[in-house]
Amino acid sequence: MRDTIVIGAGLSGLMGALALADAGRRPLVLAKGQGAMQWAAGTIDVWGAANGSLRAALGELITTDPGHPYARAGAAGVEAAIDRFRALMESARYPYVGSLERNVLLPTALGALRPAAFFPATMAAGDMRLGGAAHAGPPLLLAGFHELRDFFPPMAAENLTGQGIPARGVYLTLPPIARRLDFNTRVFAQLFDDPAFREDVGRQLRAARGDATRIGLPAVLGLRDPLGAVAHLQALSGAQIFEIPTLPPSVPGMRLFTIFREAIVKAGGRLQIGAEVLRGEGADGALTAVYSAAAAREQTHRANLFLLATGGVAGGGVRTDHTGSTWETALGLPLQAPGGRGEWFAPRFLNEAGHPIYRAGIATNPQLQPLDAAGAVVYRNVAVSGAALAGSDPIRERCYSGMALATGWRAGQILSSEL
Amino acid sequence: MTHDHIELSLEQSLDHCIKCNICTAACPVSAVTDLFPGPKYVGPQGQRFRMPGQPSPDESVDYCSGCRVCNEVCPTGVRVMELNTRAKAAIVEQNGLPLRAWLLGYQYWFGKLACGPLAPLANFGASNPLLRTVVERTVKIGRKAPLPKFSTYSFRSWFKQRTKSQASKTAAVPDGSQSTAPGSRKQVVYFHGCSTNYYEPHVGQAAVEVLERNGFEVIVAKQGCCGLPLLSNGAFKQARSHHEYNVEQLLPYAQRGIPIIGTSTSCTLTIKEEASELLGMHETAVRMVAENTYDIFEFLRLLHDRGELNTDFKPVQRSMPYHAPCQLRAHNLGRPALDILELVPGLQLSESTAACCGLAGTYGYKAEKYQIAMDVGAGLFDFVRASGSDTAVCDSEICRWQIAHGSGLEVKHPIEILREAYG
Repeated sequence: MRDTIVIGAGLSGLMGALALADAGRRPLVLAKGQGAMQWAAGTIDVWGAANGSLRAALGELITTDPGHPYARAGAAGVEAAIDRFRALMESARYPYVGSLERNVLLPTALGALRPAAFFPATMAAGDMRLGGAAHAGPPLLLAGFHELRDFFPPMAAENLTGQGIPARGVYLTLPPIARRLDFNTRVFAQLFDDPAFREDVGRQLRAARGDATRIGLPAVLGLRDPLGAVAHLQALSGAQIFEIPTLPPSVPGMRLFTIFREAIVKAGGRLQIGAEVLRGEGADGALTAVYSAAAAREQTHRANLFLLATGGVAGGGVRTDHTGSTWETALGLPLQAPGGRGEWFAPRFLNEAGHPIYRAGIATNPQLQPLDAAGAVVYRNVAVSGAALAGSDPIRERCYSGMALATGWRAGQILSSEL
Repeated sequence: MTHDHIELSLEQSLDHCIKCNICTAACPVSAVTDLFPGPKYVGPQGQRFRMPGQPSPDESVDYCSGCRVCNEVCPTGVRVMELNTRAKAAIVEQNGLPLRAWLLGYQYWFGKLACGPLAPLANFGASNPLLRTVVERTVKIGRKAPLPKFSTYSFRSWFKQRTKSQASKTAAVPDGSQSTAPGSRKQVVYFHGCSTNYYEPHVGQAAVEVLERNGFEVIVAKQGCCGLPLLSNGAFKQARSHHEYNVEQLLPYAQRGIPIIGTSTSCTLTIKEEASELLGMHETAVRMVAENTYDIFEFLRLLHDRGELNTDFKPVQRSMPYHAPCQLRAHNLGRPALDILELVPGLQLSESTAACCGLAGTYGYKAEKYQIAMDVGAGLFDFVRASGSDTAVCDSEICRWQIAHGSGLEVKHPIEILREAYG
């Protein structure tokens, strides 16, 4: 009933689905579960290693490493994908800021500094490069709640201070609420949707702030209108407020997923979560159907175009076992991967160049069509995107989300216009 | 409890839990009550402390509604809901089946007794506030919970009557079964379930008419309750005999390759998967019946994929909100009703993103869970009310009653809308 299928509902699959929807297709997105988005910080990390211009670093990468997924997307493709992504977020009143001129450094929940190119405006005041002289200024205030596990403001503050960024961490008192035996990030986000809850927190922040001009809070400041919640807390506290990504489940990830889902559905697309694609079936060099897990029997999905965005070793698109086998989970496509277990890892655990197994993935041609070991196209109507692609170690290169967006977008465009 | 294949695979599935808490963040019940800490805690985590012969370590599993949203969102494939339902059954085995669970599990007996001429009297009783208060005080069934109205005629009696009036052409079907449109080459078995039989015969009438419009002879086989109300109340032993009975009745049709089609997404899910998985019934006969059972829109969609669906639809100029119920989502089939209804010119259905209506089988009928169910469904009630339509659409009967109760809208099965489109 739908002639275009996207496999995977992470950033890459949803960006691909958006591109297909923009082109007038009505994609069906099949995914095993809800993962990647809620596991990630919600920032767009384009190339974390770049000290100067990311644009220049990408240009160099594309020239020197033509097999890298970014080279498949192309410099213009990367920028177009980011522009489309930002336009979508802008339209949902959840704007992203940043640039390809330089990385900013955002604090993690542990107080480490993490480079990012684009980030929600709700995190903007957390740029630790802001105002150079800021480090000599008043210390930052980090605040949290005892009830929110895995977020320890004093520890994060101490770690920042140790890196030359004076900071102080405090715990707030949970405003009186009707209930709550157990707390998680989603529960807090719902609480921050309530203006009365924010009033109380804002008053506490004003009292605790001292001479701090910037206050970091866990990234749980609402699901409905986080930008409005941040503005409200700023007005109440008299300081700039910024969100610090938490451990999973990530509220910024939930916001992203919701915004994508609404845009895709509005354009006529459909998301089917809980439907793991188990295998595919092809004829004459084209994929004709995929089969997803369902009650009592597999569900058959016939289509003309397919986008594979199931992730890599970390995301579940590539699996390995103790015998040294590696395989692609959805369609059984050939992998470009180190031969046996002996070749998976470099001798040093913290090897600067990473470990070969994390570069495992599907080799493609410039049209992102999957290739076999001999370099022949396996299915001409399939494009691959995101961490399922070979040739990159996206976590070490700090380009997971940037590469996901760029290749997802490019794959969607290739499918809708070039294949 | 026996250590069967499924229990082993459930145990292995809990080892896939990476504690990411995505299930807890998606759980509609833990979102509104302190009494349920969330699927991760009572599911894969609690399961490590459940030992055969040992008392249950965590009775809060009783507050799991069984909606399966956790299963749907889990990125690593843990079968949380099945773990929880088995844990509930272990508690029942330990403490015995409470009277209320017995009443809810065997609710079809009320249908047998009250459907028909006694319906007005029974409905008067069921809607009498005083009587409901007494029931709430004694057996703890919520006095405000949306009990359906008994029909003055059963689906089976309507079908029998209809067959009789076509008497001259009646096909001979063995075993006391009945059929219509004899002479058609293509046959299907209709599994109506208890709610269509006793409360909503019009749903079954619409299903029969739609199937006939597509050239099928409809056989209404002998059948009993699918056993889901028993399963979800932990009465596994009793549910097993129900499933065995239905498999015995349906097997001859499955063996002849005649599809078994249901309009109740929970009955069809039970026959396809729930009963066999939870009870560890993996015999060939059980599997054969499961593999031959279809949700009606799943079946119609398969017809359409093969180019065999009668798409001679008249325009239906309406916009209505649609909710995909939990039991349909657990079939993992996407949105078959939307896929078919979008073929009807003029018809606009907007899908809710609510996780659950709250009622979840018999959960919301329990006095202490009534308000939880209403709080879970609040977002959905707002969504259907905001649509401005006077009618909402939902595949599952219990959810229809809850949505109607919570929103005040009339709620129809999508097959009723499709029947309307055939004119």
